Amino acid sequence: MANEIIEGILEGLRLIFTFDPEVWGVIEVSFRVSLTSTLLAALIALPIGSFIGLREFKGKKEVTNLINTFMGFPPVVMGLVIYLLLSRSGPFGVLGLLYSTSAMIIAQFLLAVPIIMGTAKAAIESVDPTLKETVLSLGANERQLWWELIKHSKKSIIAGFLVAFGQAISEVGAVMIVGGNIRWETRTFTTSIVLQTRMGEFGMAIALGVILITIAFIVNYGLTRLQTRVD
Amino acid sequence: MDLLVYKLELIKIKLLEVKNLKKEFYKGDKSIIEVLSDINFSVNKGECFVTIGPNGSGKTTLLRIIGLLESPTLGQIFYNKKDLTKISRKEKVEYRRKFSFVRQKPVVRNTTVFNNIAYGPKVRGMKYDEYQKLVNEIIEFIGLKGMENKNARSLSGGEMQRVAIAMNFVINPEIYLLDEVSANLDSMNIKLLDDFIMRIKQDKEKTIIMSTHDPLEAIKYADRIAVLNNGQITQIGRPNEIFTAPKDEFTALFVGYENILYGIAELDKTTGLSQIKVNDLIITASSQQEGEVKVCIRPESIGIVKEPPKNTSYRNTFKGAIENIRELGNICHLIVICKSEKFLIAITELSRKNLKLEIDSEVFINFKATDVKIL
Repeated sequence: MANEIIEGILEGLRLIFTFDPEVWGVIEVSFRVSLTSTLLAALIALPIGSFIGLREFKGKKEVTNLINTFMGFPPVVMGLVIYLLLSRSGPFGVLGLLYSTSAMIIAQFLLAVPIIMGTAKAAIESVDPTLKETVLSLGANERQLWWELIKHSKKSIIAGFLVAFGQAISEVGAVMIVGGNIRWETRTFTTSIVLQTRMGEFGMAIALGVILITIAFIVNYGLTRLQTRVD
Repeated sequence: MDLLVYKLELIKIKLLEVKNLKKEFYKGDKSIIEVLSDINFSVNKGECFVTIGPNGSGKTTLLRIIGLLESPTLGQIFYNKKDLTKISRKEKVEYRRKFSFVRQKPVVRNTTVFNNIAYGPKVRGMKYDEYQKLVNEIIEFIGLKGMENKNARSLSGGEMQRVAIAMNFVINPEIYLLDEVSANLDSMNIKLLDDFIMRIKQDKEKTIIMSTHDPLEAIKYADRIAVLNNGQITQIGRPNEIFTAPKDEFTALFVGYENILYGIAELDKTTGLSQIKVNDLIITASSQQEGEVKVCIRPESIGIVKEPPKNTSYRNTFKGAIENIRELGNICHLIVICKSEKFLIAITELSRKNLKLEIDSEVFINFKATDVKIL
């Protein structure tokens, strides 16, 4: 066993540094899917989340509860839901999106939206209330206040985005179900690792694992840098 | 003079009117605290209206409600007859721009001194070319020239407060709301603040509503004072009314007693002392100030005798008559009328008995030039 592991690691490093087309194909798909879904999610969740944080309105507590619940939504269940919606007999079956990167993007997008929305809302709400009042008393309208608060809490907002991206790229259940793990098409880091491990192809699995851990490390390093940086 | 002031007050326009204002806060455990109750007052255009009271009396909340940063639980606020408690979100922005709010602890945005001061003009849609000169002028006035591009958050507390004042001054509001602005300032910054407030006071178009817990500050700036205790206004009046005739024990204890007279000072070149003309009286003070002044003399600094004093070092001696006597345990307050002016004098009950002082007794009062405080 120990032998297999060492061989696996060596094989993994070889695959990375010889630019094995399959490994790099998997990397490409993973990044394309996760980045697209997180960016799209940010586009929608940021304005809505920060707006919820900015305004006081009836039912805000309920909305907050809802967002918090969806922040911890089990990815496998999300995969199941999207599968049912996109399957041929489902309501969106005609679109023929099942087992495509589009389906994967939709699933990850829906998982990322509550995370980015929740962190943006919390970030805006955690701004010192006296700063809010100062900006208002200097004559800012709601849009100007909003922009000021976004600028002020950009660190937490970026952190929320990174968390969502990290979740997306390391997520396995949903992309497995809706993407189908099709070689060269919808195979990602995580689905690939699952498959290769099952087949006993540890080299490939380890190579992808190493890359995934490196990405996780970079994202976390960025997060820590962001949070400890003093302006 | 009083009659003149009274007449002037009649032609003043009510700019702001607060009616039956009440504010309640919910605490964590759902219990209610009443921060303000039954607040009624109005402020005239060009007036400096000062609320005075201890910490927690509701001064800040009152200013925040007027500045449209907080909604009252009940009651109305009229600005030029427009009810500010019933306006839309959009109108709120428009009306908020008529106020500026300087708080006790300065808050600046995380950007340069210049950008901080330029923020008000900028959100009002002014272009860089329009406000650039104005902002630089103000930076020079607050003595921060050369620091325009420094981050305002890296400044010292006093400098930050100066930036905060400049941020509010540059937007040229109708009403200045100043919340205990002189607290935590050193003498140099107090001087600068004083220059600002005096500049605003000279402009009869501008109105000031300020809060303080310092009686001397209230006397100095106020046209009228409202005493706030436990969320209620206990007394409203001109400074001399409040300080010589406090309505209740709280006011008396909190603001203390003070004789306040309004006069015009002239410097006497031969003695180097100020001669202050207060209607029919001329008061000598050891100050070099000139022009319109407020004169303060503490009631316990005034001596009283029945015979005209001879060979005294006291520079001020006036003949008068006792109008009223208030006994307060072992001390007593005498109200003495000297020509046009009333003086409040505090002596011990024992001295009063020894001197046989009664209502209508003819007396002489005297006090030193050094006991006359000029504000």
